[in-house]
Amino acid sequence: MRFACKTLVLVNALACAGLVQAADIKIGIAEALTGGAAQYGVAISNGFQLAAEEINAKGGINGNKITLVIEDEQGKKEESINVFKKLIFQDKVLMIFGPTLSNSMFAAGPVANAAKTVVFGTSVTANGITDVGPYVFRNSVMESDVLPVTVATATKHYQLKKVAVIYGNDDAFTKSGYDVFKKVLEEQKLPVTTTETYVKGDVDFKAQLTKIKGSNPDAVVCSCLAEEAANIMLQARGLGIKAPFIGGNGFNSPKLFEISKLAGEGTFVGSPWSNTNPAPANQAFVAAYQKKYKAEPNQFAAQAYDALNVAAAALKDIKLSGDIVADREALKNALPKATISGATGPFKFRPAKTRSGQPGGWDADQKPFIYLVKGGKFTLYSSK
Amino acid sequence: MLEQQLLNALTLGSVYALFALGFTLVFGVLAVINLSHGAVFMVGSYAALALVTHFDAPLWLAILGAMLISGTIGLLVDVLILKPLRARNAPHLIPMIATIGVGIMLTSAAQGMFGAEVLRFPEETLPAGEFIVGNVHVRALELAIVAIAFILMAVLFTLIKRTQLGRALRAIAESPKAAWLLGINVEGLFHVTSFVAAALGGVAGVLIGLDFNAITPQMGQPILHKGIAVIILGGMGDIRGALIGGLFLGFAEVISKAYLSSQMGDAVAFGLLFLILLVRPSGLFGRKLERKA
Amino acid sequence: MEWFNDFWSTYSTLVFSVGVHALLALSIWLTLSCGLLSLANAAFMGIGAYVSALLTLQLGWSFPAVLLAGGLAPALVALIIGAPVLRLSGVYLAMATLAFGEVVRITVLNLEITGGPEGLNGIPLLTEGWHIALILALTLYGLARLRRSKVGRAFEAIKEDEVAARLMGIDVDRYKLLAFVLGAVIAGVAGALNAHFTFFISPREYGFENAVDIITMAVLGGTANLIGPVLGASIITLLPELLRSLHDFRSFVNGAVLVLVVLFLPKGIWDPRRFRGWLQRVKGGRA
Repeated sequence: MRFACKTLVLVNALACAGLVQAADIKIGIAEALTGGAAQYGVAISNGFQLAAEEINAKGGINGNKITLVIEDEQGKKEESINVFKKLIFQDKVLMIFGPTLSNSMFAAGPVANAAKTVVFGTSVTANGITDVGPYVFRNSVMESDVLPVTVATATKHYQLKKVAVIYGNDDAFTKSGYDVFKKVLEEQKLPVTTTETYVKGDVDFKAQLTKIKGSNPDAVVCSCLAEEAANIMLQARGLGIKAPFIGGNGFNSPKLFEISKLAGEGTFVGSPWSNTNPAPANQAFVAAYQKKYKAEPNQFAAQAYDALNVAAAALKDIKLSGDIVADREALKNALPKATISGATGPFKFRPAKTRSGQPGGWDADQKPFIYLVKGGKFTLYSSK
Repeated sequence: MLEQQLLNALTLGSVYALFALGFTLVFGVLAVINLSHGAVFMVGSYAALALVTHFDAPLWLAILGAMLISGTIGLLVDVLILKPLRARNAPHLIPMIATIGVGIMLTSAAQGMFGAEVLRFPEETLPAGEFIVGNVHVRALELAIVAIAFILMAVLFTLIKRTQLGRALRAIAESPKAAWLLGINVEGLFHVTSFVAAALGGVAGVLIGLDFNAITPQMGQPILHKGIAVIILGGMGDIRGALIGGLFLGFAEVISKAYLSSQMGDAVAFGLLFLILLVRPSGLFGRKLERKA
Repeated sequence: MEWFNDFWSTYSTLVFSVGVHALLALSIWLTLSCGLLSLANAAFMGIGAYVSALLTLQLGWSFPAVLLAGGLAPALVALIIGAPVLRLSGVYLAMATLAFGEVVRITVLNLEITGGPEGLNGIPLLTEGWHIALILALTLYGLARLRRSKVGRAFEAIKEDEVAARLMGIDVDRYKLLAFVLGAVIAGVAGALNAHFTFFISPREYGFENAVDIITMAVLGGTANLIGPVLGASIITLLPELLRSLHDFRSFVNGAVLVLVVLFLPKGIWDPRRFRGWLQRVKGGRA
């Protein structure tokens, strides 16, 4: 997050240099920029800044420049609530993007919803997030939309008879991914040889993998984050496990194969984004990101980048009155209709199904791509 | 599969022992629970990484450099923070809290310099090589870690049992005041101990960074928790105890993951710790170490 | 009044947090005042938070009843583990209680009813400012009375010299257990209050770091009297917010402040003896 302040100034400067009568559209960004979740939060915040710069360079939204107010929520729940309140009541932002973790969203989401301010999560995949209320949006594709397709495709491709499962059991993201996998495997009648767990911060997975090896599965289903997944793959190969991997959303990072090299060969991954997706919008994003940050983008950056463009699309259709309460309401009403074709492909919202039956927020309605890893790269899979 | 699991346990246990060596040394001599040891371990990893990637240093040089850098940090912490606290006879808890502050500073400094992302050693620097014995897969690096843990432990043990320096350190561990009366340069040895302990922590960081190849600013935290468990199991301040405790914890964790359930891994570590403390208040292998400041 | 409304809507959660942290710091002050270095308070807070949140969510108990249960549940646990654990002393007690905390966290992580790592969400907002103010005031009053009572003097004696206290006929084990259990009650109530204004709880919030945070608050503020822990809790809670403008350097400065206070303010920030020293010097200077 070294560049956050500088870029903020830059975006501001751009806005100031613009037309005099143009108002700024203040948008809050609450992400984990320090602490354990910073590795996602920083990429996410980069994605937003890139999108904001591009939008402003093209003249803003109906002549209004976007100003990002970036705050660090440290991946902690109280901190997220504090940041949300600061953005809503003090900075008076039009809407908030974030927070980074589902846990923080469960705490801070109700605050934004009660204040009738749109909160838009780009990396919160847990079940029940959009139960919080009608002001809660997300473009993070849920595992329950992706995994059934991934598992079915892999089963067919490899003629799988039985699989082993490994997941992180102290993390909301990997645990809810596992819950979906479990359900999908039951539905698709694929027997599980053994289910193994690890905890955050673990770097040695050999005990679990040795056990998996002993159970002799046809494939290893893995609900893990990319960093752990890379080590799991490497250690699995080191132990002589030859079975391919099936991964969830967390696998979707170019990093995975930077690290694991050919250990990840044959892995099936379903995801809304991949750096090799040839769609022009995506290639433009990847090139711009590399140019600006001298680093490879990941799924978190891509979803953030798309999210701001979705919001921009909605903002184009509304006339801002300057009355923050009315404008927030107008945005909430316009956002569900917004569609774009971005780095993650065609995007639109769908109303969330809530447990209570009350009107909930809005989930992403996106078709996942299924990728097969070949030569250390994600390649779009076609069943021929 | 049992052979493989035993090997897994041996390497995991050696990792824990390697980390715990410096940790326990500081506790034994300075009577301080140094909660910045996890961060120093992390600094070692980053230092070696920076030397390898920015200065194209060969691995052995990078390890030496990492030892020097993390050792210097340990020394600075002792001179700037622990020494004044000793001078005013601060209760146990106070230096521990100061080291928490140091840990926070080091962690955020690392993030500021290297970013929050997971970094890795370039592949060509990793010592390659693995072989298969029967059903067991062994990597050269794992063997190196086991060997280094045992060798360092042996060197340290001999140093403490056989040399003049070691005798002085043991005298300090018994009573710094008495050692001072005997004409031992207590402050100087505190500095040396802090340097050596931090350097050991740094080496552990490099080796574990190499083996698991996932370097993050937060990487020291989980192993710090395990380190605490290890030095208690082994008896606080006991060099042999660090090795025995480390291996014991490694075996307990691996066996419980293999034959009970992998969910039990951490619960076993801390459950054991809790129970052992109740039964044997000074650790499994420790002697009662009571020292009034 | 407008600025106050603005201020309150932005910072009410922060003020709530100060109150809850003050309770936690007081809970550890209580055990420290009896010479016990117990680090189980984060776990007790977690037990209080989970029990109360589950009672609200599943059984729909009234808030006062929920708070009461949030205090009693950890007290019960403290009573059970107290007898064996309190035989330990010094760092060993600290480590045993830390280990106990980890066991609690891992248990919560693997239970079905607690929602595992995903925690419990949708906890209604029931805590109001005056609840926290009242409970904090009652706690301060109670502890102040306790300090001056026979029990408080017994704590003091045990803290100074356990062996001497025992020889004087003080039932050391019983008083230790009392301090431990009362500390658990305060921490548990703090957890219950916290759960009902943050909408969400998860096992991660009651782990090692939090245990260390709590002790840090008390020691930073000073443990000579009751003002210290409250002050320390306020500073630890507010410091990150005050340093918000420092962005990237924030946590670095946070750590540095911790080190500097420990180095230069030996008895914590609130140190009556030092204040008296200053006062005398000022007077002396005039005379």
